[in-house]
Amino acid sequence: MTASDTPAPGTRLARIWDAPIRLFHWLLLPLIAFSWWSGERHEMEWHRLSGYAILALLVFRIYWGFFGGRTARFSQFLRGPAAALSYLRSQASGRHVPAPGHNPIGGWSVILMLATLVAMVVAGLFAVDVDGLESGPLADYVSFDQGRLASDIHGIVFNLLLALIVLHVVAILFYAVRLRQNLVGPMIHGRRRTGEQVADVTTSPWKALIGIAIAGTCAYAVARGFRL
Amino acid sequence: MTISRTTRFFLIAAPAALLVTGTLAAAPAAAPSPQAAIAARQAGYKKMGAAMKAINDQLKTDAPAKAVMSPAAQTLAATAREQPKLFPAGSGPTAGVKTDALPNIWTDRKTFDAQMAKLIAESGKLVAVMNSGNIDAIRAQAKATGGTCAACHRQFRQDT
Repeated sequence: MTASDTPAPGTRLARIWDAPIRLFHWLLLPLIAFSWWSGERHEMEWHRLSGYAILALLVFRIYWGFFGGRTARFSQFLRGPAAALSYLRSQASGRHVPAPGHNPIGGWSVILMLATLVAMVVAGLFAVDVDGLESGPLADYVSFDQGRLASDIHGIVFNLLLALIVLHVVAILFYAVRLRQNLVGPMIHGRRRTGEQVADVTTSPWKALIGIAIAGTCAYAVARGFRL
Repeated sequence: MTISRTTRFFLIAAPAALLVTGTLAAAPAAAPSPQAAIAARQAGYKKMGAAMKAINDQLKTDAPAKAVMSPAAQTLAATAREQPKLFPAGSGPTAGVKTDALPNIWTDRKTFDAQMAKLIAESGKLVAVMNSGNIDAIRAQAKATGGTCAACHRQFRQDT
């Protein structure tokens, strides 16, 4: 049992992560694992499909960064270096106050991971294998050499992504062990014990549906190489 | 006894000149140096990769253009025939330049040569099918040709 689960006077269980954000997170994890596996095994038909699914998720996540619930919005969690530093300082002073959403450091971690994933997917779209046999759906827009370069970038960025995932897990462990705060639970059920003034995160199902439609259309168009 | 300056010059220069002209004369007949062979075969493989990509790019479209695929298939077949000559002894990982060629090319030369022969045969068939076959036949043969690339790379190329 962690501190955040313990009822305390003047607190309530508030919904801090909306359902689309949680779905995004928990769909992304197996898809990244499957992409890695299918890539290693040269199962390129599966690798491409998995990549299109990740592309759709990323498009949705970026859309949701503008139209999603309060904690999903970039405007809420994108903070300047000053805010990030003062958050670090408050942590170092020993008084940990759980943020009702991404904290300023976590926000930067989200942006870094999203940017890395976007770079990963874009490079993959143009990548060509050494045989000129397997390629991403947009590889016919570039030369063989450019496609090989895209493939190299795809590989390098994957290592960066792995490093960020390790950092992500280490941070979660640090919060669990040192700060006695469970970050995984809220990402599953969406709720965390917060101060009474923190309101539930609300979303519009219509906006979510529009986002899913946009994401699906984008992924389909790219998968077809824009030959619609 | 003293050697005159002129004599000394000829003593040094004559063998040197012989060496230079001899090397130049012998060069076309002898096998390429390991480094030259590596550069030549890498250029060849890149050409083949580009040709393969050109064919597969066409096959991805709704109306693949034979005018693009046919010359690419010829490039593939012609280059394939040159490649086996570009693996002289000493052009493996020990050559001192970057190569993904694995040492077992030279220790298991028979298998390697058989793979090369398969590539030449399949790319030859690809040229033939371009002239006579329909798109489905071309697609199948392009896949078969690419399959020989991939199979050989798994065995004899690092970092596949």
